[in-house]
Amino acid sequence: MANQERIDPQYETIKALLGGFLAARREANPAAGHIEQDTIAAFVEGNLSEREAAPVISHMADCGFCLHVSAELIRLDTAFAETPATVTETASEPGKISEVLSGLFAKIFGTSDGAVFAHHEEEKKEEQEDSDEEKK
Amino acid sequence: MQEGNPQFTEIIAAAGPSIGELYARCKENAPNFSCGEEQFRLSIERSLLKFCRAADTPPTAEEVSTFIGQLQADDLLMAIACSNGCERAWWEFDQQHRPYLERVARHLAKTEIDAQDVIDTVYVELYGTRVVDGERISKFATYSGRGSIRGWLRTVVWHSLVDLHRASPDEVSLDEMTENFGEGAAQSTFLVSVEDGEKEAVDQLAEQRYRKATIESLSAAFASLEPHERLLLLYYHKENLKLREIARLLENADSPLRGWFQRRSQTRDSGGRTHESTVMRWLEKCYASVLENFLNELTTTQGLSREESAICMELATRDLGSGDLFAKLSAT
Repeated sequence: MANQERIDPQYETIKALLGGFLAARREANPAAGHIEQDTIAAFVEGNLSEREAAPVISHMADCGFCLHVSAELIRLDTAFAETPATVTETASEPGKISEVLSGLFAKIFGTSDGAVFAHHEEEKKEEQEDSDEEKK
Repeated sequence: MQEGNPQFTEIIAAAGPSIGELYARCKENAPNFSCGEEQFRLSIERSLLKFCRAADTPPTAEEVSTFIGQLQADDLLMAIACSNGCERAWWEFDQQHRPYLERVARHLAKTEIDAQDVIDTVYVELYGTRVVDGERISKFATYSGRGSIRGWLRTVVWHSLVDLHRASPDEVSLDEMTENFGEGAAQSTFLVSVEDGEKEAVDQLAEQRYRKATIESLSAAFASLEPHERLLLLYYHKENLKLREIARLLENADSPLRGWFQRRSQTRDSGGRTHESTVMRWLEKCYASVLENFLNELTTTQGLSREESAICMELATRDLGSGDLFAKLSAT
């Protein structure tokens, strides 16, 4: 690498100095709020165009929180790319949203949510209709 | 969609046929997903409006076409259908993405209990428990299709973990939380406590002045960089991202970050992989700019002579060697 041949002591000092300065620096959390999750995810994937990325990059250079979130996501992305996931077996029959969620609501809130019960009701209704059709 | 700027209204209207074609294609791929064309159209129009507002000038027709072409439209259709409570879409989502979601949660969380908590919370959030004006608000409604649904899920899981920790009894600040969470933990370095010196008062004052000038000039030199250069340095030095991790961020040939660095170094690569050595070269260019601006700041803004600037550098080198530079700087 050409730069490794550089022997300017000032250059080496500034590198070390800047490293220490940035590591010790605390970015403010801007009052304007943080970058939307959807946008930060698209940025990390390199999917934003120049016009979209410019304000995102400016924000991240000043906002410690968004900088850290994006860094964590980059790190995660690299880790996953380097370690392929193990293949998991999948169910052959469609799982019901209500089945998954009613268990979760019960676990989190101690009881099932009304919306989930509504799904049960719909299912029961559908099942009733199915059996009616079969009878016909 | 109502939009005050007539130029944007025109742009959005002109995109109508492309959005219609996109919907038809997605619907062909997933005919059982409950998502009407109007809902699909509105979602894309919202993103398009944001795209229009992202810069001072309106986007060109070509930019709009590229924008629509890059949308993860099938993922978007699935997300909208899931937010509508469509069983088939949920099943597809569960089959395709639950293992990934679990993997992300387990990778980020410290314990299996935390991971499981987060997985459950994310599912509940995705379904939505909040009802506004009689409508259930699903987290899926915030997905725009700009990136992949998996990339978005990663972010949702990450934020959910942060929220989980913030809600714990030993509440910590957001800053403290994010600095001690995930793989970034233990990587943040902060100012150490100030040492009480017994130096001669005069020497101390002079040194303090030079150290103050050093830190102010360094701060100004850093601030004078372009935002993408500052981001690169922050990723490397503050977030401790490795060169290969930064290189991965720049892998996409259309990445604007990559474009800016290439324009700055007046080079174009073949559009292939960004190597770690390339990132290192870009970092070196940033250091060179900082050095130039730093020396300039010392002489112009701080009014130091060349000899005094040299003393600043000597002091910095000495302090770096003793490992307490920033303790001393913090005292200035």
